[in-house]
Amino acid sequence: MAMTHNLKLRFENGFAVVEFDQPDSKVNVLSSESMAELEGILAQLRARQDSEGKALKGLVLLSQKPDIFIAGADIKEIEKISSPAEAEQKARAGQKIFSALEDLPLPSVALINGACLGGGMELALACDYRLAAHSDKVRMGLPEVKLGVIPGFGGTVRLPRLVGLRKGLEMILSGNPVSAQAALKIGLVDGLASSQRLLTEGMELLSKMKGKRRHYGPKLKGFSDVFLDKNPLGRALLKSQTQKFVWKNTKGQYPAVLKALETVAGNYPAARGARGASDEAYQREAKAFGQVASGEISKNLISVFYMMEKYKKAKWVEAAPRPIGKCAVLGAGVMGGGIAQLLSHRGHPVRMKDINLGALGRGLRQAWDVFYGAVKKRRMRPNQAALGMGLISPTADYSGFSNADLVIEAVVEDMKIKKIVWKEVASQVKPGAIIASNTSCLSVTEMAEALGAAPERAVGMHYFNPVHRMPLVEVIRAAKTSDETIATLVEFSKALGKTPIVVKDECGFLVNRILLPYLNEAGLLLEEGVRFEKIDDVLLDFGMPMGAFILMDEIGLDVGYKVAALLEAHFGERMKVSHIFKAIHEHGWLGKKSGRGFYIHERKKRRPNPGVYTLLPQRPESAMGGKEILQRMLFKMVNEAALCLEEKICREASDVDIGMIMGTGFPPFRGGLLRYADTVGGAKIVEALEKMKEKTGSPRFAPCGYLVNLAKTGKGFYR
Amino acid sequence: MRVDEVIFGEVAQPPEASNVARVISLLVGIPKEKRAYTLSRNCASGIESATSAAEKIQAGLDEVVIAGGTESMSNIPLFYNREATKIFLQLSKARTLTEKLACFLKFRPRHLLKPEVGLTLGLSDPTCGLNMGQTAEVLAKEYGLTRAEQDEFALTSHKRVQAARAKLKEEIVPVHVPPKFEKAVTEDNGVRENLSLEDLAKMRPYFDRATGTVTVGNSCQVTDGACALLMMKEELAKSMGYTPLGYLRAYTYVGVDPSRMGIGPAYAIAELLKKTDLKLKDIELLEINEAFAAQVIACERQMEKDGVGKINRDILNVNGGSIALGHPVGTTGNRLILTLLREMKRRNLRLGLISLCIGGGQGAAVLLER
Repeated sequence: MAMTHNLKLRFENGFAVVEFDQPDSKVNVLSSESMAELEGILAQLRARQDSEGKALKGLVLLSQKPDIFIAGADIKEIEKISSPAEAEQKARAGQKIFSALEDLPLPSVALINGACLGGGMELALACDYRLAAHSDKVRMGLPEVKLGVIPGFGGTVRLPRLVGLRKGLEMILSGNPVSAQAALKIGLVDGLASSQRLLTEGMELLSKMKGKRRHYGPKLKGFSDVFLDKNPLGRALLKSQTQKFVWKNTKGQYPAVLKALETVAGNYPAARGARGASDEAYQREAKAFGQVASGEISKNLISVFYMMEKYKKAKWVEAAPRPIGKCAVLGAGVMGGGIAQLLSHRGHPVRMKDINLGALGRGLRQAWDVFYGAVKKRRMRPNQAALGMGLISPTADYSGFSNADLVIEAVVEDMKIKKIVWKEVASQVKPGAIIASNTSCLSVTEMAEALGAAPERAVGMHYFNPVHRMPLVEVIRAAKTSDETIATLVEFSKALGKTPIVVKDECGFLVNRILLPYLNEAGLLLEEGVRFEKIDDVLLDFGMPMGAFILMDEIGLDVGYKVAALLEAHFGERMKVSHIFKAIHEHGWLGKKSGRGFYIHERKKRRPNPGVYTLLPQRPESAMGGKEILQRMLFKMVNEAALCLEEKICREASDVDIGMIMGTGFPPFRGGLLRYADTVGGAKIVEALEKMKEKTGSPRFAPCGYLVNLAKTGKGFYR
Repeated sequence: MRVDEVIFGEVAQPPEASNVARVISLLVGIPKEKRAYTLSRNCASGIESATSAAEKIQAGLDEVVIAGGTESMSNIPLFYNREATKIFLQLSKARTLTEKLACFLKFRPRHLLKPEVGLTLGLSDPTCGLNMGQTAEVLAKEYGLTRAEQDEFALTSHKRVQAARAKLKEEIVPVHVPPKFEKAVTEDNGVRENLSLEDLAKMRPYFDRATGTVTVGNSCQVTDGACALLMMKEELAKSMGYTPLGYLRAYTYVGVDPSRMGIGPAYAIAELLKKTDLKLKDIELLEINEAFAAQVIACERQMEKDGVGKINRDILNVNGGSIALGHPVGTTGNRLILTLLREMKRRNLRLGLISLCIGGGQGAAVLLER
């Protein structure tokens, strides 16, 4: 038997114990190497069991990593897959090893002490029994679809077999993991034990069960559960309903989800209740895996996954961060209330100041609605909401500001008012307190001047609306911001569960500067006679989470216009605001908040507002095709992003991509704005931009030097 | 964070917060390593928290304490009576369907539709069998108090609160009302503007309908409220850069007949003066909680009778009292300390005294200095 690195086999009390402990790593992942080691150990155990006449009582699999069982398959290996055949063959190889585990002539138990995901979950599913720790760290699931693939080591067969079709589909199609408690409830694990007693209780479980698992039937409760699981009609109904739901939510842009649905549903009747499912089912899974694993979408999603992991950990500067305890928020508007909610939810006492009680009431309401909205959706317990609300204390003066380690200013976007407020704050806070502005485009450097002294503590901290949902924070480095301040806000953002990107203090910073020209272009297209409903449809088909006009309605047409006008004032002709934005907000149509904008918003429904066209000069409908519309809008963004790189607003292309994905919902399956640009090619984009410039006669399409250079050298943003 | 302990007085503890002081402490963000407890000396709970804090600080057990009082009388729940509770208990223990059914069949409409009102229970004395209003009637009769003098006293309370609106506002923290937060409560809502003696005279006696003189008009109002004081030794306060609002110099609690609980202040004040070797005329400003007009007037009479002295009404409850403001029982004692010290500051006085009658038959008095 060869030496093993990742797995260790030992014998204890008549049990074989296999420990996963990947060297030099905080986590265990299933690589080809560790899979081969497992195969060897299984063969060894089988031989021993056969020769010594069933001497062993059972097999226990456990992890030596704290809070992690096995985090999944090695993503690098999935990334390297180049053809469907290769993918299918890899899946078959893995399936064979897990089937050998399932068929081993001795009962097995997986001791799940933490993250048990993807391939790790499939390994656990191939065991006869599973025992999980009483721990918040336990998360069990098959998140493969999030990387654009499907489970390939038998997960699509074995999970539904254990938990039923409905629950199985829910877990595999959403990719969301379940907690230890939930796993017990749905029959995914056979029991829970304290972390310290997992091994003992695992062995006791095997002794008690006296052999291999005999029953695989899911726990079904109530008529509908049984109908949807046991009756062919019920299963057909479940499948068609799920399919509709998936189409509605993914518009077919995430093929892995549909593939997973097809595979799970196709295999289910055969797998249900059976100990050894037919090999046909596994073959079908491997084939389906092969079809998605080598595709572009999976590659993109994996690259985005890596990017997100990298940015979650990125330090940005070398300085040591300072701890942040108490905070103060200035301005109780939508953003102020939202920021106060975020801070208090993470345990920070927050002073929220505005000029009067009415304004403070609206800020409290904002926070309350987020807290109790989450309670209603059962994402939060009522006590957490009560605690969070308790930590926000409203004030109409600056009392309590002297205790704050961090003040976040979120007053109206007006430099005059900002400067007055910053000056006031400077006289109220303790020395060393960081003062951050949640401005979306104004100069933080200019605000810092109002502080009078110590401009190194002035910084921008730009959240996106709605604060509790948008994962991005732009940390804006003003002219004199210290590294310590940057490091503090970077770490603080991470502690709040957000991903920070550090950007230069230049009008619009990174995300808004790229997004606004895109939105503006939509307005200009509308002026040229393209129907706005059509523009939104084109964008939705591309994969944008919402159309440009819906997005503007959500943002608020007054707020949007204000930011657009500020950008125009700063950048001039290139960002000239479309007339329609001025006209519509002057007409009093402010978007969702006023019930009417480009769309008419009714309870949970919206329809296009035909009145929009009356605000425009009469003009025949343009025959512009979807491709041209898309190019106008996307290439405009690519060009602006290139300009940001040229002006060093950010460091590299991935800063742009992470910002646009996390700040605006740019479709991750496209890999990000600039990764998408790379797939199109710089030369083609420059050519298209030149053509647009010619056609419209507007200099806004003039490709920037950075982009022209890429086109010339044949390089990409990433390569 | 320098706060060592949070102490709150409360009478009707909410069932969902057994130790409400601890809940308050955590909700306001005081670190969880710090201590907190809730205590009750019925109507003097808000004083007891302050005097307990003083005792702990003097004993060297604490350095910095937040001592307060809290009461939400509008949230006091209704209870199932003893009989119904027993059936519910049996039901929870029932194993089989037959047993459960048998329990269910025991319920009668009176069990479910006639709950016991927690507020009424709390305001009744289980030993003497009288509710608080009835104890005031006992005093009114014993001291021969007229309806008119009680109503006059009540009217003064309303008028003084109206005149002191701006002053009282200084000690009020606005509270936004969830879930809409459209309204912020910024002032006491118990005061009746334009109240006249005629209006008060129209009210019927509430506790003794036939022969009584105590009406809801000349009694304190049931209300919600909370108050807190930051307490520490003088040297520490000064080293931390605080200017003390005042000093707690001495205090006393006395026991009296439960059915005459309102007379408590008369004896408590007498004892405190004796203890501190002071005369009533040394006290420059005085607060006697207005549980009932009858009860405060009875105290005046008793003190005159005992030779303690005649109370100068010009320095008694100068900014009105519980008849106009309401009496959130666990809170009031604490608020009296705050209100008195702030007024002493405005008038630049040195010695003040607050006193409360306590349901169950006790009196409390605290001597304050600045």
